[in-house]
Amino acid sequence: MSEKSKVSYPLFESFKDKLKPKHSQAQMTLSQVNIFGRLSWQELKIVEHAIHIRNYAPDEPIFKQGDPGSGMYIIIEGRVGIFLDIPQQKPKKLSELGEGDFFGEIALLDESPRTATATALESCTIIGFYRPDLMDILKIKPSVGGKIILSLSEVLATRLRTTNSELVKVSRQLEELTETDDDE
Amino acid sequence: MSNREPVQIASQSVRLFHQSLLKTLIYFFVLIMALAAAYKALPLVMDALFLLVIASILTAILNPLVDRLETSGIKRIWGALMVFGGIFTLLGTGIVRGIPTLLSEISRIKDMIQQQSATDSLNSMIDNINAKVSQFVPSFQLDTDTLSNLTSQFFGQLGSILAGALDTLATIVFILIITMFFLVDGARMMKSLIGMVPNRYFEMSLNISYKTKKQLTNFLRGQLLAALGVAIQSIIGLSLLNWVFDANISGVFLIGSIAGMANMIPFIGPFMGMAPAIVVSLFNNLGDPVAAANFYYIFHIIGMFFLVQMIDNNVISPIVVSGSMEMHPLTVILLILIGSQMGVLGMFLAVPAWGITKVIVSEVYQGLKGHHLI
Repeated sequence: MSEKSKVSYPLFESFKDKLKPKHSQAQMTLSQVNIFGRLSWQELKIVEHAIHIRNYAPDEPIFKQGDPGSGMYIIIEGRVGIFLDIPQQKPKKLSELGEGDFFGEIALLDESPRTATATALESCTIIGFYRPDLMDILKIKPSVGGKIILSLSEVLATRLRTTNSELVKVSRQLEELTETDDDE
Repeated sequence: MSNREPVQIASQSVRLFHQSLLKTLIYFFVLIMALAAAYKALPLVMDALFLLVIASILTAILNPLVDRLETSGIKRIWGALMVFGGIFTLLGTGIVRGIPTLLSEISRIKDMIQQQSATDSLNSMIDNINAKVSQFVPSFQLDTDTLSNLTSQFFGQLGSILAGALDTLATIVFILIITMFFLVDGARMMKSLIGMVPNRYFEMSLNISYKTKKQLTNFLRGQLLAALGVAIQSIIGLSLLNWVFDANISGVFLIGSIAGMANMIPFIGPFMGMAPAIVVSLFNNLGDPVAAANFYYIFHIIGMFFLVQMIDNNVISPIVVSGSMEMHPLTVILLILIGSQMGVLGMFLAVPAWGITKVIVSEVYQGLKGHHLI
């Protein structure tokens, strides 16, 4: 019985393989990003046609603080550092991002200057998804564009809620400190 | 990165500076070589470049239509084929039916001008015009030869343009094939082209190309819609003049189309559109006492074109034509003078070409400034 189960059918296996949906690495990476979380594989293929895959050398800047923002980046491979440039000081490292992480997504919505500098810490392969790409998707496939905008709004709403609660915490701490000072 | 020693960072900065200096020098050398090669090869590739430019303009005009079809679920290639089916049907109908009619109309008017230039009715009409105009401008003197030469030259050139267009039918087909490729694969081609830009300038190039494309599409669409508006209004206006006043203006569709196309040239275009209508009306009504009493409907025609211009300037153009295309009258006159060196076609294309160049330069400048590169 066990011998029977070991019998393989190469032709059938190859057909089965061919029928299996194949997804590119870019599609796989995109599917892990919550902004594209609502999209089906078919819709991710549309996004894949719009994105740009770029390679960066170690220490090469991806964008600089103050540059007009154009879009977001998703790391396929490598590590990226986010630095805050402070005049006459060494840049302050805010975070280090790795595979599957994304940054710069606010630039999809407006062209305001970048608030930090992103630099490749090692050889990186990064997906660039820019506002013109989003606009094209919105024009040609409004349903896909709408899903991306909705997810992006959710990300920003969550972030705003977190910032608000942090602000409340800080203001409480400040009030407590002021009260302590008054008591003293 | 934050853990690195200052000496390490300094030596790395020097290395990066040398690398970027070398890169800049290489780019500069390549640019100089490319410019020199382009200068040498320009005459050889001029025809191909012309085809590409025309195809790009056509793509910018037709792209929104194909995009709309794609949005409604039709595959891009089928959408482009549908649009092209429509264009070929229109072109075919135009060639089979319209061109022979237009050519015969032009040659009829040309013959009429040549035959009637010596007739009494033309002389009496000119005398009539001279008498009335000299009341206001004493030195004004119009003679038969000048008028017949001017008009036959105008229609002769118009005829040669149309005949030339027929001769270059192969070129038109070639342009349409390139346009088809641009419509179906243009986005992918553009993506590959922008993909070659170094990382440092990538975001900026993408933004510039997107904004320029958007501005150009708006500009071309606006120009075409305004031209179409003027053409339709002129055709309706001339037909009304024929119907209400029995103005006897033939070739209404041809005159309306010329008025529409001429409208792309600001300030001077409206007069260029008006001239054929006046000439046709004059020669069609020679010897007619009612027409002579109405001054050969010249004032009716001027009034009608004035009304069309008022509607265009105050209603249509503000809606459809981009505001960034405003030009000083002197710029327009200079452009037309420069364009006239390349014939009638040059006069037509000079202003839109300047508009397109203005958009590209402005977007590139804004992009470079935004990225602190200038």
